[in-house]
Amino acid sequence: MTRTGWIRWPGLLAFVAIVLLVAGFWFLLLDSLVKRFIERSGTSLVGAKVELDKAALSLNPLGLTLVRLQVTDPDAPMRNAVEIGRIAMTMDGLNLLRRKAIVEEMTLDGVRFGTPRTRSGAIRKRPLEPKPEPRSGDVIALPTLSVPDPKEVLEREELQSVKLVETMRTELAADRERWQKRVAELPDKQKLEQYKAELDRVQKTAKGGGKDVLSGVLGGAQAAQQAVALQKDAARDLDAIRAAKADLEQRLAQWRGRLEKARTAPEDDVRRLKAKYGLSGAGATNVTRLLFGAKLADVVDGLVRWEARLRPILQRVAEHRREAGAREAGAREAGAEVVKPIRGKGVDVRFPERLPLPDLLVRKAHASVELVAGTLKGQIRNITPDQHILGMPLTFDFAGEKLTQARAVTVAGTINRVNPAKPADHVAVTARDYALGATELLNSKDWAFHLERARVDADGTLTLEGGAIQGRVNAGFKDAMLKTSAPAGVVADALAGTLADVRAFQLHAEVKGTTADYAVTLASNLDDVVKDAITRRLGAQLVRFENELQAAITQKVSGPLQELQKSVGGLDTLTNELTARLNLGQDLLKPVKSAVPGLKLPF
Amino acid sequence: MLRTTAKLLAVLNSETEPGQIGLGFALAMIAGFTPLLSLHNLVVLLLVLILRVNLSAFLLGLAFFSALAFALDPLFHRVGLAALTARPLKGLWTALYNSTLWRIEHFNNSIVMGSLLVSLLLFVPLYRLSNTLIRLYRERALAYVRRSRIMQAFTATRLYQYYQTYSDWRG
Repeated sequence: MTRTGWIRWPGLLAFVAIVLLVAGFWFLLLDSLVKRFIERSGTSLVGAKVELDKAALSLNPLGLTLVRLQVTDPDAPMRNAVEIGRIAMTMDGLNLLRRKAIVEEMTLDGVRFGTPRTRSGAIRKRPLEPKPEPRSGDVIALPTLSVPDPKEVLEREELQSVKLVETMRTELAADRERWQKRVAELPDKQKLEQYKAELDRVQKTAKGGGKDVLSGVLGGAQAAQQAVALQKDAARDLDAIRAAKADLEQRLAQWRGRLEKARTAPEDDVRRLKAKYGLSGAGATNVTRLLFGAKLADVVDGLVRWEARLRPILQRVAEHRREAGAREAGAREAGAEVVKPIRGKGVDVRFPERLPLPDLLVRKAHASVELVAGTLKGQIRNITPDQHILGMPLTFDFAGEKLTQARAVTVAGTINRVNPAKPADHVAVTARDYALGATELLNSKDWAFHLERARVDADGTLTLEGGAIQGRVNAGFKDAMLKTSAPAGVVADALAGTLADVRAFQLHAEVKGTTADYAVTLASNLDDVVKDAITRRLGAQLVRFENELQAAITQKVSGPLQELQKSVGGLDTLTNELTARLNLGQDLLKPVKSAVPGLKLPF
Repeated sequence: MLRTTAKLLAVLNSETEPGQIGLGFALAMIAGFTPLLSLHNLVVLLLVLILRVNLSAFLLGLAFFSALAFALDPLFHRVGLAALTARPLKGLWTALYNSTLWRIEHFNNSIVMGSLLVSLLLFVPLYRLSNTLIRLYRERALAYVRRSRIMQAFTATRLYQYYQTYSDWRG
């Protein structure tokens, strides 16, 4: 049999058979392929194992169901960061053919955080992220809770008041010497007496007259001239004395002011030492920071760490633009965008679309999240790594009412990467009657604080914009039970006892700074409660400490202070001296009488 | 088992004209260079089955060119990226990008575009070269191979006898 021609018609049947075989095979394996794809890409993104029990694809309607997704916490490989019992979604088939996974609706059931794992989810040995170093201002000084002996305190401490008085004494001594020299250089009483005597003589000479009227007039004029010259000299000297007196009075006023400050300096020393060695307002404020500062910083640190982990998922474009070279930059100029796929070879060049859509988008996800307090239900909208294409941020809002351990909880927020250069994330949480279980607040070498239980009403917000972080929490605690383990001591026992008696308190916290370096400010009426209680319990001791300290400092300072006062008095004496000289010279400047009665001198 | 294998070999080697073998190689180059699960490879498969193409040559060529593709991927990427980012072609690519069929083809991937362009460019030259080499082989080397001891031993096997029988039936 000979065959002619290039067409082999049975080949068409073979083609159909092969295609159907491959399609069937692919369809049978598809569930496993999807499962493997999710596990591999998830593991690569998170940096720890992502495991899925089962994936089931349905064709009509097109949808996917995932059973038990576990995402390991990279920092704690034996725990899951999140575990989702079931995920079901319906997909847009046409867009799927265009390599766009557009999920119209997704349901997440049984979302839980921090669940234990049966085996480690670490994928490779990697150093744990180091705990952040304490930020400046975060190193909280423990209040000194023992009332020491004032004598020991004074031996240890340098008193600012004594130092001040000594400095003033030295300066004043030098100043006095300087002024004494200056006053000595000024015309003294003797000089002024000389002027007076000379002036009298000149006036007498003028009155004596001449043999005749002419010689009398000429003699009078000459005398008047001499008198005027004398007066000019005297005036010049008196001006010098007057100026010196004004300067000296100004200087004296300054010294009197400093002397007044030196008199109050011992009180400043008492206040400073009381704050350092006793429980003052500042010391009591430290109690709130001790109790809650570390815990709050941990929560904020955790949120910042997870934002950094989720960033590659939330913001794919910026990452891959950084990796693109000059050629890709040329492509952007031509109106195309080069996007490196998360996995695979080559690069995909993205061109303008008539109806732009992200490659992955979940329009709406309904989720139920299981917390210790109960189940929160809510929605997440617009989940996509390409928000700049969608033009809308990711939003979420969850609420729970009549929960097992709370009356109501709401969590809402946005993750905005619409403009990748200006990321802005915001979350707001409210809780009403939230029952807090046993919580360790602080566990250091000397101190341990535990909040055994409390019911909390809280409102909190946190905003991350660019690299800046800003947050606020207002919380009211009631039915609280605080347990303290403190070192032995009267004041420590008082603090422990006081905290044990506390049943309700308010807490206000603010966070401000950058994600790398932020400050936590805490305020609470707990500080006043602690301060009042300790003051009540230790009132007498603290008052005695303060009085003894005051007396000891006053005794140390009074002697030098009296000497200082005397020295200031010495300057006063100089002022009086100058005043006396001025008084003496006052008469010198009175107008001179003419030798000829009735003759008015032109000068 | 031997008969089945012989039947299969007969089918695979049923088209023995140099052009049929050359076409098999050329089509194998397209399928081998480009990602196997691309849409255009369905067209290649259809052509391979519906045209009188030597299937052995196609399968052999597929294995060879698939192995070669690993080494040539960087070249394909550069060629593909250059083509996709060429300004004069932006309009064409944009139109194709908005078409579902072409999105399934994944033409906007640099490896797919580059490997397809290279294989299409080399299609005709490879076909002609294969033709020439096969003719030269048949004219100059075939007789020597047939006389070799390995070939003589192989032709004495039952497998070859069954193969020869089925080949004769197909004509």
